[in-house]
Amino acid sequence: MRYTFPDIYNESMQVFFMKIQFNNKLEKQLILGTLKLQKFFIYRVIQRTLLLIFPFALFGSFVKIIQTVVIGKEGFLTDVFPDLSNDFIYRQIDNIATGLYNLSLGWISVIAIFGAAKYTAKHFNRDDQLAGITVVSALLIIDYTYSKVQTFSFHPQILGMRGLLLAIILGISIGWIFKKTSRPVPDYVKLGGAPSVIERSFISAKPIIVSLLIAMLFSTLINVTYYAEAPGNYINTLASEYTSKSPLGQLLKTFIFSIYTLIMSFFGWSGTYSSAGTEKMDTLSTVNLNYALNKHTAWNAPNPFTSSALYHAFATFGGTGAVLGLIIAILIVAKDEDFQTVARWAIIPSLFNISSGLMTGIPILFNIIFLIPFILAPIANMTMAALAIQLHLMPPSVYPVPIGTPGPLIAFIGTNGSWQALIFSILAIIISVYIYIPFVKMAIKVKDLDNLSLEEGAN
Amino acid sequence: MRTRTLRKNKNFKYLIAMLLFFIILGIPSYIWTRKNVTTLAGRYNSPMTPIIMIPGSSASANRFDDLVKTVNNKYGEHHSLLKLTVHTDDSITYSGKIRANDTQPFFVVGFQNNEDGYSNIKKQARWFNIAFNAIKKRYRFNSFNALGHSNGGLIWTMFLENDFNDSNLSINQLLTVGTPYNFEEKNTSNHTQMLNDLIKKRDNIPHNMTYYSIAGTQLYSDDGIVPLGSVDAGKYIYEGQAKHYTLITLTGNKAQHSDMIASNQFITIFHQYIIGNGVNNPNSPDSKQSAIASQ
Repeated sequence: MRYTFPDIYNESMQVFFMKIQFNNKLEKQLILGTLKLQKFFIYRVIQRTLLLIFPFALFGSFVKIIQTVVIGKEGFLTDVFPDLSNDFIYRQIDNIATGLYNLSLGWISVIAIFGAAKYTAKHFNRDDQLAGITVVSALLIIDYTYSKVQTFSFHPQILGMRGLLLAIILGISIGWIFKKTSRPVPDYVKLGGAPSVIERSFISAKPIIVSLLIAMLFSTLINVTYYAEAPGNYINTLASEYTSKSPLGQLLKTFIFSIYTLIMSFFGWSGTYSSAGTEKMDTLSTVNLNYALNKHTAWNAPNPFTSSALYHAFATFGGTGAVLGLIIAILIVAKDEDFQTVARWAIIPSLFNISSGLMTGIPILFNIIFLIPFILAPIANMTMAALAIQLHLMPPSVYPVPIGTPGPLIAFIGTNGSWQALIFSILAIIISVYIYIPFVKMAIKVKDLDNLSLEEGAN
Repeated sequence: MRTRTLRKNKNFKYLIAMLLFFIILGIPSYIWTRKNVTTLAGRYNSPMTPIIMIPGSSASANRFDDLVKTVNNKYGEHHSLLKLTVHTDDSITYSGKIRANDTQPFFVVGFQNNEDGYSNIKKQARWFNIAFNAIKKRYRFNSFNALGHSNGGLIWTMFLENDFNDSNLSINQLLTVGTPYNFEEKNTSNHTQMLNDLIKKRDNIPHNMTYYSIAGTQLYSDDGIVPLGSVDAGKYIYEGQAKHYTLITLTGNKAQHSDMIASNQFITIFHQYIIGNGVNNPNSPDSKQSAIASQ
């Protein structure tokens, strides 16, 4: 592994350019584009922040397996092996798992916002420790629930993975406020004196006050909009309530909401479709289920292109973005040790469609190279599934599937054990692996040229 | 190139392990899904427990708007509300929306013909069944709670005795307010035709349902419209049939027949028994709220 020092950075890059061979124009443009993007400090801050939260995300994803798949009331293992459940012990494990989850993946945004503000402030040579602490308070103020029932509580959605985008934007903004409203921290080591805590605090007093006041403002806004039904709710309602009679309309609707979900997930936000199973109360799926229960078959269900038949059954292998394909692709082609380690650790959570470790460890989030396969692989799988259903090669998935069912088995269970569906699921894995392979190679090339995880990483 | 093949070999075992994992889980999954689809008939796996409400005579489906608003504000909850009106020609009109992921939405079923009288109530019970089947078809749930105000409670009773016969669906709690099981009759020993009819079919009342009946009283005898004895006559139908039967007498401010559902006492009871159900207390073992909400 080569260590590139910042000062000889450009020089070494030249050397690497000689060695790198591009297979085609797209690859060249994508790699050069990414390298350009990586020069922006915001991009570097984001990538660094993601690496910071990776261990917590990975730990949380393992706890989540226990929580939803093993213990969860509708979880896969509890359903498939009901004899395992023993009330008392289960409840104890459940309590422990809930606590561990809520304070790892459950508040991942708090960790992320600390990193984002710290790295931004450091970049501008401001007090990074105080910036990090300030921004944690700011996020918690924003997230504070104005509730009469629970006196000290927060909206859990914003603290978890879903709040990542907000956390990163807010962290960078507050880091920037530190730049604007305070002067650089004197270099005490150079000056030879011990830092005065009081002096440090006063240098950063102004940005701290400004940040907390802004947080207060956002907090009020969020609480007002939360009670007045947040806009996300409208989209969710649209996705589950809006029903189109024509199959083409349904197909279009499912694809549009899938792409929306994928793009949103790529930016650490939440989309309409959850990756944790088909728990949404989709009207069309209910109609399908009733049909299947009456006729005792899933074939010719009235709504063949619902989200559960296409998106949930074929596009979520390994979690949002069909990342099981990415893991296999890395295991097959990646020569990079880091990628391999992350992929190996992510195997087990990904089998249950929990991808947060992989998303932050590679990272996939905000990583422009993976944006294309992250959307393309699920869409390709869905297109294949839609074609197969249309040509009557496979019935649509209409039966309920427990939460955390391994991706390739969702269609199999959802069709009440149709072998055709299983074969198409295997095909879907192969397709997504093939889509991810070239991008994994590109990501490695980019990493060789400009490794974000190395420099300044010690801080 | 040699290192490449070596690495490939190293990862080969992970890929094989993955494959084995799917095969090992695939077989029990196959057996389970076969069993699940035949026995559970698919209503399983729904976190939704709706609250279905029927207003009293001469009230429309909008009767509970204020109640829902008050509950949402007072307890900081976000229940969505869908109102159905069944017309005399059996058609249904909808207003309002169910928010996706709402585990406890409210459904209110009103009737175009909302007149009082036994013959009308019988018709309304039939219309309610139409609305109930429509809800059942559109939304997936395996249990629900119910509220009936005044004659709405009679409609619930008739529905439970005559039409509700679904092994996949269970009613957990029923709460009625000022329901005149014996119409205006004060004396519980004089049974009206309706009460006799209801008692006759009492065996059909679901045995795992818990029933709370609220009677309002002003001056010891009635809530201004319905006599205490008439509400109390419900015991001849529910006692020994439902899992529990509780009669609550509500007095004081707003104990009048129509005002009761706006009284604080009622709202507390309503929230505790009908909405409560483990959601209030996230630590309760039957609540998975905290885990689900934080995904």
